[in-house]
Amino acid sequence: MAKIPITLQINRERHEALVEPDRTLLDVLRSDLGLTGTKTNCLDAECGVCTVLVDGLAVNSCLYLAVVAQGRAITTIEGLAPAGTLHPLQRAFVESGAVQCGYCIPGMILAAKAYLDDHPQPSEAQIREALAGNLCRCTGYQKIVDAVLAAANCMTAEKVAL
Amino acid sequence: MSGASRVVSRSLARIDAPGKVTGTAVYAADFALPGMLYGKIFRSAEPHARLVRLDTTRAAAIAGVRAVISAADGPDVRYGAAVKDEPVFASDIVRYVGQPVAAVAAVTLEAAEAALAAIEAVCEPLPRVLDLAAALAPGAPLVHEGWQTYTAIPILQRDGNVCNRARIVVGDVERGWAEADRVFEHRFTTAMVHQGYTEPRAAVAAWDSSGQVTVWSNTQLPFDVQATLADILAIAPSKVRVIVPGVGGGFGGKLRIGVEHFAALLARRAGRPVKVVTTSEEELTAAYPRQGTIIELKTGVTLDGRLTARQGRIYFDTGAFAGSGPGVASVATMVLAGPYRTPNLHLEGYAVYTNKTNCGSYRAPSGPQANFAVESQMDIIADALGIDPLELRLRNIVREGDEGPTGQVLSAVGLEECLRRAAEAIGWRDRRPAPGRGKGLAIGWWTTTGGSSGVYVKINPDGTVALNTGAVEIGTAALTGAAQVLAEALGVDLADVTVVSGDTFSTPFDFGAQGSRTAFAVGNACRAAAAELQRKLFALAAAQLGAPEEALALHDKHVVGPGGRVSLAELARQSQVAGGGMIAPGTFIAPATAYDTKRVEGHVYPAFHSPSFHAHAVDLSVDAETGEVAIHKYVVAQDVGFALNPTYIEGQIEGGVAQGLGQTLSEEIVYRDGRVLNANLTDYKMPTTLDVPRVESILVEHPGRVGPFGAKGVGEPPNIEPPAAVANAIAAAVGARISSLPITAEKIVLTQRAGSG
Repeated sequence: MAKIPITLQINRERHEALVEPDRTLLDVLRSDLGLTGTKTNCLDAECGVCTVLVDGLAVNSCLYLAVVAQGRAITTIEGLAPAGTLHPLQRAFVESGAVQCGYCIPGMILAAKAYLDDHPQPSEAQIREALAGNLCRCTGYQKIVDAVLAAANCMTAEKVAL
Repeated sequence: MSGASRVVSRSLARIDAPGKVTGTAVYAADFALPGMLYGKIFRSAEPHARLVRLDTTRAAAIAGVRAVISAADGPDVRYGAAVKDEPVFASDIVRYVGQPVAAVAAVTLEAAEAALAAIEAVCEPLPRVLDLAAALAPGAPLVHEGWQTYTAIPILQRDGNVCNRARIVVGDVERGWAEADRVFEHRFTTAMVHQGYTEPRAAVAAWDSSGQVTVWSNTQLPFDVQATLADILAIAPSKVRVIVPGVGGGFGGKLRIGVEHFAALLARRAGRPVKVVTTSEEELTAAYPRQGTIIELKTGVTLDGRLTARQGRIYFDTGAFAGSGPGVASVATMVLAGPYRTPNLHLEGYAVYTNKTNCGSYRAPSGPQANFAVESQMDIIADALGIDPLELRLRNIVREGDEGPTGQVLSAVGLEECLRRAAEAIGWRDRRPAPGRGKGLAIGWWTTTGGSSGVYVKINPDGTVALNTGAVEIGTAALTGAAQVLAEALGVDLADVTVVSGDTFSTPFDFGAQGSRTAFAVGNACRAAAAELQRKLFALAAAQLGAPEEALALHDKHVVGPGGRVSLAELARQSQVAGGGMIAPGTFIAPATAYDTKRVEGHVYPAFHSPSFHAHAVDLSVDAETGEVAIHKYVVAQDVGFALNPTYIEGQIEGGVAQGLGQTLSEEIVYRDGRVLNANLTDYKMPTTLDVPRVESILVEHPGRVGPFGAKGVGEPPNIEPPAAVANAIAAAVGARISSLPITAEKIVLTQRAGSG
């Protein structure tokens, strides 16, 4: 299949790549750009470990074509916070004990980010609904949900402080 | 050490958390090398057949394909933990759908997949052994005609399709039946289920010019994989280096060699690094899932609820190769005994070959299946005798100083406290609070697997501490726990400790991430290393502090004497000048647990070391129309001995319960005619955020004699009791006794209809 040049806006940086039209965003992120914080597993949008943000929406990058991502703002876990700092969600996941093997965590955090951006003060039930597409096999989700609630409170408090 | 603990028993954040939340932690599936090829495995499409022709010539000719290998390329070797029955590639006979037949490596994954499609295999079907009943039937076809030629652990009791029969015999069950007022007999079944780790099995292999192969893989047992690889590759173990980057969950499914050998063989053939990663379909058809079982259980009791005898048989559908089956069948007999005093026991575990994927170890292997039978039947007995299920258990549970089923003497038995506290927390007095709502209890016991661990510990000249261990962090935070033990013993902070782990070349031996042992065993090795470091530190500090070594103590990053103190950093700097730096090894081997050898045969796990005890309680409702189960509350009281890090122990409990609820309510690898029907994550139904209730964890602490600070293994137990606890609650709620897992809504409704019809 003939390759075509594309330009992707990832974590506020421009990236050039030469890809086949059927290449997924996940594959380009991981294989071409070395952004392996976005994880790979089922490749069928069933598990959610590959979740990234495209124009602020959480998408399964395993089924999202790289060519379609052109002109859109893509955020991966590597770009959620400036290097050396943690986003309130990342901090809350660490402090709540929400991380075990960690493989689902980048996708989980980005799914939570997308939801909190629209729903800054969610209930536990809403958080559970929002994260239902992200499988975790280690935690039983309890401390993940707790972390998202804690992060929401923290982010709201920070906004109020501003 | 003096006063309150500085590091242990505190809920400190795990040391690897920042890398995991920022995406910088590298997992095996992320690992890549320049020039790397992609490997894929060509698998059998037949459950049992003679492979009459294999043609790979078209595959080899596809552009980008760099290697194609099959049994014809060797090596002619069989491997396996208990029975060496599994070849790398099927040669003359294929024994399950999914068995590797050939492998390819290509410059792209697409080319590798195209090569697989171009491989031609011609098979002539053989008689199939598709389930336990077929395998055990008189005159059943043999899955392995040549089973007697295989090398196996000598004590195994093998016969045809049975690759082990493990047995515990205590007293005389006939006498027990005679003493009983009532005898209860039931049959239970459980389904094959997958560990469900989110990171697929992955390996990258690269050979160097000296003939050494390095394999980066997400195995739980790097030293076991090293040894197996050496056998398969016919090279010295020292020529095999296994390095474990991050592991995205294992739960026992990544114990034994998975794809490492394919990567290594392809890389040797191609002369380039090769990466192999499994797909979800491969995981659900050709991995190491938990065995499905049939359990027959017969128990005698007096009218006042005293157990007089138990006879149990559990049959494990272990698949086409023995895998973990022989050991799991052994462990099962310990679980069938339950944490109960029963004077007469006759318990047998059978590992049985069938034409399915070979099963392995999954978090508390055999635990959920055997416990489901035992604890379901305890409730049936309680109801039949008119005794409260809590009371029946209290009359029979083991207590301090009692014997286990094989004669081991039990100590640090926190079971009664677990049982009472779980019952209290669930509100047991009101067991049926509303129509369609009920509460259930289940209790159990489990082992803390021993095995040896070695560590090197170094105090750096800045006062920080480097822990070098062959253990593997699979997500449990066990190495954070071990680091907490080390920090506590040295009087430093957890933040001062960095860990290097899981490299068969550069780290000391460790028995691996299995059997709830890592924090326990590595923690103890850390204590040994800390004791040696203390000796060296004191020897160096004594002269400077003008005090005898006996008068010194380690406290707050210093060696403290009666008249002054000197920092660990300073002593580490001095030791670099004095010779070699401040280093020490530490080793640990769990002491053997004494048992009565006359009670067992064919048994590879005849004692539970530093056993843990636990009680689960659940409050749920069953929808009268649909049979759907809604869990209101779930409580776990677990005797952890000593809680090294309460947050991550809760994490083990919450996650173990979630996995257990999946096995209980929704998960099943469904075979029909030897083929898996649901080999994807939509049809293999693991619990989501919407399915798992909040879990209340009660950490009970009856310190054991061996573990660091009395700690016992905590990782596996939470997975054991959910099936029985839920089954018992459903029976309490709607009177439907479901004796097969998973307990789907459909089964509940059908059982209710049958009962009322």
